[in-house]
Amino acid sequence: MSKGKILVIDDEDIVRISCSRSLVPEGYELKMAKNGPEGLKMLEEEPFDLVLTDLKMPNMDGIEVLGTIKEKWPKTDVVIVTGYQTVETAVKAIKLGAFDYIEKPFTPDSLIATVANVFRARNR
Amino acid sequence: MLVNKSFNSLTGKLILTIGTLMLAGSVLFWLFLFKHQEKELLASSVKYGYSFVDYIRNSTRYGMLTVQGTLIQQTVEAVGIAEGIMNVRIFDNRGKVAYSSDKKHVGTMLDKSSALCLRCHTASGPTKDTPSWTITKGDQYRILNIVQPIYNEPACYNASCHAHPKEQRVLGLVEADLSLELLDHSIKQQGVAITVYVLAFSIVISGTLCIILWNFVSTPVTMLAQGMRKVAAGDLDYKITINRKDEIGELANTFNTMSDELRKAKNESMQWSSTLEKKVQEKTEAIHRAQQQLIHSEKLASLGRMAAGVAHEINSPLTGIVTFGHLLLKKFPEGSEDREDIEVIIDQANRCSNIIKGLLGFARATTADKAQTNINDVLNSTLNIVKNKADFFNIKLSTNLDPALSMIKADAPQLQQVFLNMIVNAADACEGKGSITITTSNVNDNGQDFVQIEFRDTGYGIKDEDLEKIFEPFFTTKPVGKGTGLGLAVSHGIIQEHGGKITISTKIGEGTSFFIRLPAMKETA
Repeated sequence: MSKGKILVIDDEDIVRISCSRSLVPEGYELKMAKNGPEGLKMLEEEPFDLVLTDLKMPNMDGIEVLGTIKEKWPKTDVVIVTGYQTVETAVKAIKLGAFDYIEKPFTPDSLIATVANVFRARNR
Repeated sequence: MLVNKSFNSLTGKLILTIGTLMLAGSVLFWLFLFKHQEKELLASSVKYGYSFVDYIRNSTRYGMLTVQGTLIQQTVEAVGIAEGIMNVRIFDNRGKVAYSSDKKHVGTMLDKSSALCLRCHTASGPTKDTPSWTITKGDQYRILNIVQPIYNEPACYNASCHAHPKEQRVLGLVEADLSLELLDHSIKQQGVAITVYVLAFSIVISGTLCIILWNFVSTPVTMLAQGMRKVAAGDLDYKITINRKDEIGELANTFNTMSDELRKAKNESMQWSSTLEKKVQEKTEAIHRAQQQLIHSEKLASLGRMAAGVAHEINSPLTGIVTFGHLLLKKFPEGSEDREDIEVIIDQANRCSNIIKGLLGFARATTADKAQTNINDVLNSTLNIVKNKADFFNIKLSTNLDPALSMIKADAPQLQQVFLNMIVNAADACEGKGSITITTSNVNDNGQDFVQIEFRDTGYGIKDEDLEKIFEPFFTTKPVGKGTGLGLAVSHGIIQEHGGKITISTKIGEGTSFFIRLPAMKETA
C-alpha cells in the first residue's frame, strides 16, 4: 500500500525523473504527464491525492491546470513547481487554492518535506 | 562746416529767405521814405515859390496901378537879388517881358511855341489861366519855375490910365526861377541818412533773427541730427540734452524716450536669444540624458525578460543536477573524497541558481508594490540581517539616521535588497576591516524634496574607468565566483523605478560614498 497517489505534470524529463527518484523511494505512487491536457486526461481516468505541476508549460500553464483541478476535483491537492521564484505568482497560486509552491532547483529533501506536509494535512 | 552747407541747411535756407525779404523790404521802405521826403520837401518849395511870386505881385501892384514902370523894375530887381532867386520876370498879355530882374531881358518877346506859353495856351486858344510850376534841370541843380497870372480886377480896368479893358481876364503874368540847390542838397543828405538808418535797421534785425534762428532752431536740430546718427550707428545710450519746454525740447524728450525703448528692446531681444540658446542647450542635454536613461532602462528591461526565460530553462536542468547530486551523496560515507566532489557539483549548481536569482531581479525591479515607508526602519532591519554575519565582525558599522526623516512611497523589500547590496559592496571594498557609515537626511534639490541615504566606506575607492560601467549588468571587480555583477545593476533599476537616483563620490585609497536619493512624500496636513 502506497503512501499516496501523486501526478507530476512537467514538460521537462529531468524534472519528472528527479521527482520520481526522490519520491518513489519514500513510498509514493507516481504517474507522469508531459503537459497540462495530458495530465487532466489522466485525472479523468483515475483519482490522485496530489498534483505537482510546473508553472510555465506550452499549451496550458500551471495556473490553468490548478484552476481546472480545483473546479473538477476539489479533493485533489496541488503544489506548484516554479522556476520563476516570484512572490507574485506564488501568492496568486495560493489564492487560487494551491496547497504550497516549491522553487526550482529543489533538493530531494525539500521536495519530500513539502509533499509530506500535504499528506500530513490530508490525513488529519 | 556752417559755410560749406549754409545754403542747404535749414538755417541757411531760412536766413537766405529772410535776408532776401529783408533786403527787398528795406529797398521798398527806403524808396518809399525817400520819395515821400522828396515829395514833401518839393511841395514846401513850391508853396514857398507861390508865396514868393504872390509877394512880387503884391509888391508891384501899386506901381502897376499908378503906372510907375521904374518903380516896378526897381522892385523886381531888388527882389531878384535875394538868395536862391535866379530870375524874376513880369510879362504883359502879349508875351513881352515888361520887367525883369535881369535888365537885359526887358523888352524881349516870348515865342508863342515856348514851353512857358504852352503851359496855359494851346494852338486853339487859351485854355487855362491858373498858376503852375515846373522843374527843369540846371547845370548844377534843378530849377523850380513858378508862373502866376495877374488877373484883371476893378482897380485895373477902372484906373485912370485905361490901359486894360474890363473884358480882359488876364493882364499878364509873373514868372520866377528859383534855385532848388538847397532842396537837392537837403534831399541828398536826408537820403544818405535814410539809407544809413534802413541799412542799420536791416542789419540789426537780420543779425537778431540769425542769432535767434541759430540758438532756437539750428543748434538743437544739429544736436538732434547728431543723436539720430549716433543711434543709427548703434549707440543706444546716447542722450540729447535740450532742456526746453517748446516743440524742440519735446522732440528731444521723445527722441530720448525712443532711444531708451530701443535700447530696452535690444537688450531684451539679446537676453532672450541668449537664454533661448541656453534653454535649447539645457533641453538638448535633458533629452540626451532621458534618451540615455531610456536606453539603459530598455536594456535592463530586455535583460529582465531574457532572464525570466533563461531562469525557467536553466532551473529545470539544475533541479536534475541538485536532485541526482543529493541522491549520489547518500551513497558515499561522510568525509570521503567522492562525497566532497559531489558537494562541489551541488555548490556550483546552487551558484548557477543564485545567478539566475540575480537576473530575475530585473524582472522584479519593474513591478514594485509601493506603500508609505520609513527608510530608517528599512535600514535598521537590513542592518539586523548583516550584523551577525562573519564578514562584518571586524568592520565598524555606524549609523547617523535623521529622526525627522520624511516618509517615502516605496516597495520596502526591494529597497532592503538595494541597501543590503550597498552594505555588502561597502564591506567588500573594506576587505573585512575599516568602517561603514550610513547617514540619512532630508534634502532639497531645485525645490524638490528628497530623502537621501549615504553609504560611506573607508575602502579602496573606485577607479575612474570603472565608474562609467559600475551600473552595467555583469560588470564586477570582484574575484570570479564572488560577485555576479548584477547587484548594482538591479539596485539602479529599483531606485529608478522609485523615481530616485544613485550618485557616487569616490577617492582612490580613501573610500567611496554612494548617495541614494528618493523623492519624499508630500507633507499632508
